[in-house]
Amino acid sequence: MTELTETGIAGLDEILNGGLVSNSTTLVSGNPGAGKSILGLQYIYNGVERFDEDGLFLSFEENERDLREAAESIGFDNWQDHVEAGNIEIYDKQVLLRENDFSSSLELLLGDLNDDRYERLVLDSLAMFQLFFDSEREKRTYLLKFTDILAENDLTTLMTNEQGAVFPDTDVGLENFLTDGNIFLLQTPTDSGVNRYAWVAKMRKQDIDTDIFPMEIRKGEGIRIHENASAFSMMNDEESPL
Amino acid sequence: MPSVDLLQTLGNKYSAEILDATDEPRSAQELSDELDIPIATCYRRIDELTEHDLLELHDNILSDDRRRIKVYRRNVEAVHIEFEDDELFVEVEERSEVANTLDEAWKTLSEG
Repeated sequence: MTELTETGIAGLDEILNGGLVSNSTTLVSGNPGAGKSILGLQYIYNGVERFDEDGLFLSFEENERDLREAAESIGFDNWQDHVEAGNIEIYDKQVLLRENDFSSSLELLLGDLNDDRYERLVLDSLAMFQLFFDSEREKRTYLLKFTDILAENDLTTLMTNEQGAVFPDTDVGLENFLTDGNIFLLQTPTDSGVNRYAWVAKMRKQDIDTDIFPMEIRKGEGIRIHENASAFSMMNDEESPL
Repeated sequence: MPSVDLLQTLGNKYSAEILDATDEPRSAQELSDELDIPIATCYRRIDELTEHDLLELHDNILSDDRRRIKVYRRNVEAVHIEFEDDELFVEVEERSEVANTLDEAWKTLSEG
């Protein structure tokens, strides 16, 4: 029986047939605004709130205050308490890019990983992480080494990735093959706002539902995925840009 | 600024082979054995390469008979040479620190 790590995100664990495979790395892809960072925040927050699992949040995109504001704006009111208590450890962009010296922050992080305290990790974003490597070959090699290190330290990881959904005739980023799972967050504009969807395209070792499901971002709750709604409504939408 | 001087060092017999072999830290004796280089020449090449920052002293490890052994690791990923407008450009691409750190951590895993 594969060991699972529940995200605690309504609808997502059901689609995943129970949760993320423990010690795996899953890529969360989507365009800006699709909800990738929120999904990451929620995964870490739920870990502490509901599963008694501590988490690490690495953000090249935002500083600690931005993250706190983002978390509180969707109603994760205890975010800061958990950060202060050390149940959520944040490496924000100021820390990660301090004096342009990512390697020393990486040493610190590797030390934290060795502690065995943390079970969940979010890296926001993979693209920024990969900027530290020169060639495509290096990017792949070190993504694999990094995910190996995370798995060995019993971390179940989400990495965000700035990439739209993949349809025939478009290039699939190699990252998608190198990670254990792929979740895509999609959004299409409508007259009244935006329609959101989630699609779990791949999850190694796990029998998943690969339909596309409607998704909402709600205040006070965060992301909720609707398992039973008409999954392919967006495919029939003539205004859909996809 | 790297120069023709550096190219001369690189061009010396065994220099390129030594750099190629020092992806992981190696002692002079190991390099001499593996690459079939006379030990005195091996030491000389190591000094030359170290002087140009192409190679670096990585560590002083303790041998089985409790002696200190110096191990060396290459500092560069690539050397580019460009011939342009009568001018020669030599560019040394250093190994990334981040890559080094991950290499070390990953190595510890596979040994652990």
